[in-house]
Amino acid sequence: MLYAMNILIVEDDRQTASFIQKGLMESGYIVDHAADGEDGLHLALQGHYDVLIVDRMLPKRDGLSLIQTLRAQGMQTPVLILSALGDVDNRVEGLRAGGDDYLVKPYAFSELLARLQALLRRTQPAQDYTILKVRDLEMDLLKRRVTRSGTVIPLQPREFNLLEYLMRHAGQVVTRTMLLEKVWDYHFDPQTNVIDVHISRLRGKIDKDFDPPLLHTIRGAGYLLHDPQTA
Amino acid sequence: MTRKLLNTSVFRLSLVYALLFSTVAAGALGFIYWMAKGQMEQQTDARLQLETDALLNLYRSLAVEGLTGAISMRNSENGSRFLISRLIHRSQQDLTRDLQFDSFTQNPKQIVASLPLSIITGKKDHTEPARMMLTILPGGYQLLVVTDLKEQHTLQDRLFQTVLGAIGIIVALALAGGIFMGHNVQRRINAVGRTANDIMSGDLARRMPVTGRNDEFDSLSRVLNTMLARIEHLMQSMRDVTDNLAHDLRNPLNRLRNRLETSQYHPTAHTDYPQLIQDTIVEVDELIKTFNALLSIAQIESSRQRQDWADIDLTLLIEELADLYTAVAEEQNLTLTYQAEAGLHLHGNRQLIAQAITNLLDNAVKYTPPSGAIRLEATQQPKQICISVADNGPGIPETQREQVFKRFTRLDNARSTPGNGLGLSLVKAVAELHGASVQLQDNHPGLKASILISR
Repeated sequence: MLYAMNILIVEDDRQTASFIQKGLMESGYIVDHAADGEDGLHLALQGHYDVLIVDRMLPKRDGLSLIQTLRAQGMQTPVLILSALGDVDNRVEGLRAGGDDYLVKPYAFSELLARLQALLRRTQPAQDYTILKVRDLEMDLLKRRVTRSGTVIPLQPREFNLLEYLMRHAGQVVTRTMLLEKVWDYHFDPQTNVIDVHISRLRGKIDKDFDPPLLHTIRGAGYLLHDPQTA
Repeated sequence: MTRKLLNTSVFRLSLVYALLFSTVAAGALGFIYWMAKGQMEQQTDARLQLETDALLNLYRSLAVEGLTGAISMRNSENGSRFLISRLIHRSQQDLTRDLQFDSFTQNPKQIVASLPLSIITGKKDHTEPARMMLTILPGGYQLLVVTDLKEQHTLQDRLFQTVLGAIGIIVALALAGGIFMGHNVQRRINAVGRTANDIMSGDLARRMPVTGRNDEFDSLSRVLNTMLARIEHLMQSMRDVTDNLAHDLRNPLNRLRNRLETSQYHPTAHTDYPQLIQDTIVEVDELIKTFNALLSIAQIESSRQRQDWADIDLTLLIEELADLYTAVAEEQNLTLTYQAEAGLHLHGNRQLIAQAITNLLDNAVKYTPPSGAIRLEATQQPKQICISVADNGPGIPETQREQVFKRFTRLDNARSTPGNGLGLSLVKAVAELHGASVQLQDNHPGLKASILISR
């Protein structure tokens, strides 16, 4: 990260806001806070934020209207919606209004952080990669082929998608829920840790016979694919 | 009461109809009266003509003298229907000049008229109405035949009164009918209103009265009752949710609180704070999961929204889920096989259908002992699509198969495994939302759970 990312939190609950603020500042972000929809819109329109965290239910102007107004004015800043309303309809509503991701309260801070990082990554100039690379692990998106140190690793289609998502977010923690949503398109949590099993299979294929391990489990948060030497 | 009745639209409507009906009936009866009257008058004239013709025949054969004789003979006859027959010479009295005649017969020499008898007889007290026929004969003679109109008038009067009476009765009956119908309708509407009031004051079990007459009131009541049943069901499920929340969230919350309190007062008892915090977070996460599951079941049960419904490629979904769970099964030394008929499609909510199948798979993975087998299938049956998950685990005794759909039900042999007892409740709620049913069968051994979606 060359410069510190600016984040705006629009959240009327002071405790929640200061908790997020503190957590994000500890992670190295610059964080502003607005306590209602009007202030939030005013600050957001100044346009120097890299990502917005917007609560759905806000005094003066609700979250969805804030996002719609922003989008109507041509602001493309990514928005993460926080909401206590959690069914699929509400989620779809939020995304239709122009939100980029949706997180239902209560959530784990690690989940919030992981999703924010995913959003921040998106704001960086999108490159049309045809080859993703993490250390000696290479993924050719056109040939749909994965090699590590030149050895071809055969993957099932779903494993390929899973690895692709992890590689696109290399260096970021991704949570189980994010993987379920983005790779499988399931917006619910199965009781069994299906993701763990699939990750461990993937790990068996890309890490087992190679060194160093690239795919790591972050306890209480999720998974991280990264080159240990760059960290 | 009267004012209330007057205000009912049904009464007003029947009043309008009574008026309309009475007018039509009066018109019809009036027409009948008018026709009858005309008929009677024609008959009178025909009688006069007949008598005149008979006298003229005599006149032709017997001349004036013979006619005079015949007339006086006829006049003296008792019971003659003719009041007077007379031969008048114009020099004595010229009736054609004295009277205004209202009609002529086809014979230009004949005149017919209605007039009081006094004009002919010259006597002032002869006021009876009469009808005369005057025939002009050669030689200045006039043959006059007069008949009495009293009988005809009496008949006409009686007819008139009868018609009037009939109209009166019709109006009265129509009015009475209107009042009766208005009252009836008012009574039934009042019954519905009273029931609605009872329901509003909290008696949700009340239902609109159904008389069994199968009329529109009954069908309205039935529709309202269906609505009420649905509302009551929703209220009940809301109440169930709150009860469940109270019951099943209080215990873990209490445990949590106890643990935190203990660590606060006995810091030495918990030297491993990171572990304590980790355990607490795990417990809170479990609570949140239970809470979310309960809410989504309630939401599914009360939702009839179909906006987010779309066509689901079931074959593809089954393949995806099988792929997702094959690894999980293998991890636990279970074999998962699947079969999905090609080209199966459903209309519904993909997320919910996937979640329901996932719950069945979760259960199968959880309860099937190692080296067991799980079979996921989707087949097209004649009238329905069947999605089934079968295992060869311990199964569910037949007597408990209904019970497991209730929230928080955990059978004795399941208490040691993790879970919140909401999985099958959600499956059932999702199935019902899609108009489907859930069936639990013996798999000899094991359990076969099927979602049957009729198309």
